[in-house]
Amino acid sequence: MAADAKLPGDPYNLVITGVGGQGNVLASRVLGNIFTQQGYRVTIGETFGASQRGGSVMSHLRISETGTWSPRMPRGRAHVIISLEPTEALRVLADYGNPEVILLCNTRPVHSIAVISGQARYPQQDQLRQWIGDLSARAWFLEATRAAMEMGNPIFANIMMIGALAAADILPVDKDSFKAAVSQIMPEDKVAANCLAFDRGGQMLLKKEPGP
Amino acid sequence: MQVLGPGDLHREVLETGLCVGCGACIHLCPYFHTWQGKTAMVFSCNRQKGRCHAFCPKTEVDLDALSRLAGLGEYSGDPLGAYQQIFAARAGDAAVRGDFQDGGTVSALIGYALETGRIDAAVLTGKKGLMPEPALVTRVRDVAGYAGSGYAAAPTLAALNQGVNQGYQQMGVVGTPCQMTAVALMRENPMADENFSDPVALTIGLFCTWALDARGLMAFMEKRLPGEEIRKIRIPPPPAEILVAETRNHAVEIALDEIRDLVLQGCGLCPDMTAEWADVSVGAMEQNPGYNTLVVRTEKGRQLTADAAAAGYLEVWDLPQSGRGCLERAAAVKKRRAFGRAVETGRVNSEKIGPAVLRVNARALEKMTAGPGGAHE
Amino acid sequence: MNELTEGRPGQRLLMMGNQAIARGALEAGVSVAAGYPGTPSSEIIENLAGVAAAAGIYVEWSVNEKVAAEVAAAASFAGLRSLCVMKQNGVNVASDFLLHLAGGGTRGGMVLVPCDDPGALSSINEGESRHFARLLEIPLLEPGDFQEAKDMIKWAFELSEQIGNLVMVRSVTRLSHASGNVELGPMPDFRPKARFRHTGFILDPRQGAVSSAPVAYKHDLQQQKLEKAQDAFENALFNTYTGPENPELLVITASACNLYCREAIEILGLSDRAGLLKLATTWPLPNNLVGRYLEKTGRVLIVEEVIPFLEENIKILAAELALEIGAKTIHAKRDKTLPSVGEMHPDHVIAALAKIFDLSYEAVSADYTEKAGLCVLAGAPGRDLTFCPGCPHRASYWILHNVLALDNREGFVCGDIGCYSLGMRETGYFSLKTMHAMGSGTGLASGFGKLGPFGMDQSIVAVSGDSTFFHAVMPALVNAVHYNADITLVVFDNSGTAMTGFQPHPGLETDAMGQSAPAVDIEAVCRALGAQTTVCDPFEMDQTRDILLEKVSGKNGVQVVIMRRACALSPARRGRPEYEMYLDPQICIGENCGCNKLCTRVFKCPGLNWDDQNRCARIDEVICAGCGVCASVCPAGAITRKKRT
Repeated sequence: MAADAKLPGDPYNLVITGVGGQGNVLASRVLGNIFTQQGYRVTIGETFGASQRGGSVMSHLRISETGTWSPRMPRGRAHVIISLEPTEALRVLADYGNPEVILLCNTRPVHSIAVISGQARYPQQDQLRQWIGDLSARAWFLEATRAAMEMGNPIFANIMMIGALAAADILPVDKDSFKAAVSQIMPEDKVAANCLAFDRGGQMLLKKEPGP
Repeated sequence: MQVLGPGDLHREVLETGLCVGCGACIHLCPYFHTWQGKTAMVFSCNRQKGRCHAFCPKTEVDLDALSRLAGLGEYSGDPLGAYQQIFAARAGDAAVRGDFQDGGTVSALIGYALETGRIDAAVLTGKKGLMPEPALVTRVRDVAGYAGSGYAAAPTLAALNQGVNQGYQQMGVVGTPCQMTAVALMRENPMADENFSDPVALTIGLFCTWALDARGLMAFMEKRLPGEEIRKIRIPPPPAEILVAETRNHAVEIALDEIRDLVLQGCGLCPDMTAEWADVSVGAMEQNPGYNTLVVRTEKGRQLTADAAAAGYLEVWDLPQSGRGCLERAAAVKKRRAFGRAVETGRVNSEKIGPAVLRVNARALEKMTAGPGGAHE
Repeated sequence: MNELTEGRPGQRLLMMGNQAIARGALEAGVSVAAGYPGTPSSEIIENLAGVAAAAGIYVEWSVNEKVAAEVAAAASFAGLRSLCVMKQNGVNVASDFLLHLAGGGTRGGMVLVPCDDPGALSSINEGESRHFARLLEIPLLEPGDFQEAKDMIKWAFELSEQIGNLVMVRSVTRLSHASGNVELGPMPDFRPKARFRHTGFILDPRQGAVSSAPVAYKHDLQQQKLEKAQDAFENALFNTYTGPENPELLVITASACNLYCREAIEILGLSDRAGLLKLATTWPLPNNLVGRYLEKTGRVLIVEEVIPFLEENIKILAAELALEIGAKTIHAKRDKTLPSVGEMHPDHVIAALAKIFDLSYEAVSADYTEKAGLCVLAGAPGRDLTFCPGCPHRASYWILHNVLALDNREGFVCGDIGCYSLGMRETGYFSLKTMHAMGSGTGLASGFGKLGPFGMDQSIVAVSGDSTFFHAVMPALVNAVHYNADITLVVFDNSGTAMTGFQPHPGLETDAMGQSAPAVDIEAVCRALGAQTTVCDPFEMDQTRDILLEKVSGKNGVQVVIMRRACALSPARRGRPEYEMYLDPQICIGENCGCNKLCTRVFKCPGLNWDDQNRCARIDEVICAGCGVCASVCPAGAITRKKRT
């Protein structure tokens, strides 16, 4: 969607979720900058500190034309959820989801120590997709981590998901606004690789139909 | 004998204080370790069955089953167990000399077995200060360095498990009655491991009435003889009722009553004084310091004894019947006491499995518990 | 470009609350900033340190919060503007000095910014700093959004100079660590020269010596300052009211709760029935202003985090004014309209408003909620916090756990504050059995270590991080040495304040501003204090275990073991795995007797997974940090490592 298009809701509520270390904070910051540059008011609430150590993390983005909104989103109010880890999508859906929510989900599991140690079982992929699909209006499942590893570093998965969001054409995000936002917070030598990841994410989404 | 898991072992044997620190559960896995005479389970293991439980001589001891494993019928209840011959013995001129407690019979037999390739390694017990340490010995000349008794419980069988891990296939094991029981259990492959092969070629049991808690003994000596290096501890034959601690320049006599509290709880439930499940068993000869009593039990034991004597490693004399009486009485007392306690605490032929349950046929039980100190008293 | 210094006046940026606070201090012409790292406060000093050279200011990570307050106060005494930053717990540490400081007054503007952590997202208590403002008798400001976070800092400096005393600006996690749009103001081009004037008359607040004595005189002066601040508060533009002239309900709030209230009123469509009085000046309350709004209605809802601070102060005021304005029904925490513990949330406010106005509100259908709840239950296994892959603490706790188990005397570890506090949880094998304030681990151990004569024969271990060591462990260690307590102190030296983002500490060769600084050697300090000290590497597991075992089991007074290994995330090591890791499924014993999944079931590094299909362990190549430690954990030798070149 072009950068001058209208928001489909105000405040428009976006959640980025994942596991500590997956680049959640960076992704929210890039998106926040994209919308700030376009003149929107942006509020981001996120998880820092102890909770980052292998725990579930979540950023709430509130994008508005009118003002500053709460950094904590009220229950059931998400428009879009970007999930860097599939079971985290479920957790966020339970708190902030609704039948209209749109979901972009990276398929790569990150096992918690409860799963690693055998105290809990990680669900089957197809079962997970079924659940996530049932709880959302549209859901895309993307192998972002795998594609990122092909690029040489799994950390690019977060940027690929932003590329995918742009390609999903629901929000005013495009390559130029992305590049400008990334340049604001990253050293110049890293911009090109991130743009590549952004493009790869977009291509991945366009090749896929939403759904399990 | 039913095999349970490490959790059961921990609950039944370690937490109840019945563990005698024999070392049978050490080096099998990353969970059981021994340090300064105490066995610890460092992390929990949730297996339903484990070798740790299967090898432990303190979970439950089925004497009839052990007896059958030894190729005998149901357990007799005889004070010395089954045997072929009893000798007075001491090391012969061909054996390497060491600081023997008594006649050096054990060192001579092990040395001979190593020399002749009957065993590829010997599982022995050394000492670091007063603290016993298991040792795996492969050279004849090293054997003498491990001579001499300790009275603190020793995790000797840790060295056996280590030997298995290192690929030794014909080990000779020297150990106390509880350790001989554990070895008998191990050799039966109770976990039905497909790749199992018996790693033990010879077992030499040591007479034992009880063992002391190693840390307790260290602490006692530190308090009793502060700052002194104790080189040796010995217990002279009855009726002395003392323990002698030898330091660099003097020997201190300590009444056995003073150390009674340090005797391991698990020893009180042990009915075996003469290591009935070994090929041969060796102990002091109370009337003749410098000689050992040698009980030959199995064919393998008989052969070894005969060959070692022929080769000059060992000197043996038939022990007259009269000399056995004393030994039999002492062994019978241990049986009576153990079964007496076990009956009192409901541990004999209990329907429940472990800890320290003793199983035995009624006839043998009757034989063992009759007389002074027993349940019928 | 660093937007903190180079952002143009009028430019609107997306800033984290802590960045906005830092920018506010710069716009106010701060000269000196000092603090001690602590979530959620750390980015304020960090941001200032990053631009220290460009802005011509002095910034330091002080050894602890009390010293930070002293360092900042010195600048104020010398006529400079100074900022002092800490998390709430730090105010407890600094409070002894602060009470004296507030009694004696300041000169150059001095602002104290405590960042509270309602809900204890990164803390082990949710105690708060507001009551310190009351205790210290200093003005308290609370920004209600990101713009205010910047602007009120500037105002706080002015107020501080106006009254000649310290001003507190309280932030919370959801402001400090949230981001919003901030319009920048101009930067100053003048900074005063530092000079401490002390030759004047003793009672002269500008020229005499600085002290809280003579107490009665100074205390009286202090209260006059507070009244002056209260007067200023009556007209402060930061106190705002939105809503109808005579609302059915007056909602009074402050800080991040302001945003929650605004949204709750909007969602329930109550804009013409409920009024929102957002207070920026919460101590002392502007009595006239609050009284004026109380007069407009009979019903009040007070929304705040965490203790009922506003509630109590407003109730006192309402009682004082009752004859004039009539009795009020006040809903808040004490009547259970709102929860009395944990973070506030828009949904809490929605629920309170719905109850008061007798509205029904359903965020999503009960059907959806139930379905989603079941999915989480079935499909989203819990995610307990864990040490990062490659973290030295996992190895250290593995060793500690083994040592205490082998020692076999029901030994225990007294915990302290840092990443390694996770040692209280599964990832640290539940090793920590006490956990209190910074340095308390060693203090408690010192006490436990004297209980031998009362029959205690357990081994006692305390742990400390390298930064914590300097902060508060040293006095406790002196105590333990002097009284010959039988304890072992294990210092987890991971070369930085890892928990809060690698702030330097006195043990390192660089300071906050990146300048080289003389490092204070922990090992040398311990030796000088008289503790027998050994340095080892937690990744050399067997060797370190043996060393620690000897120390823990002996009864030889205070022993120190420094486990030295840089944090896996440290800037020096980031993204550089030391080893290539391999796992041979043929050798892996898996769940069989002899291993039973030691690496995944027990060691639990996130870099290892259990392969259910092949019944063996597997290395997760995305997560594994290549530290090589699991090769020492594997009992079968199935895990091997190869040094990367």
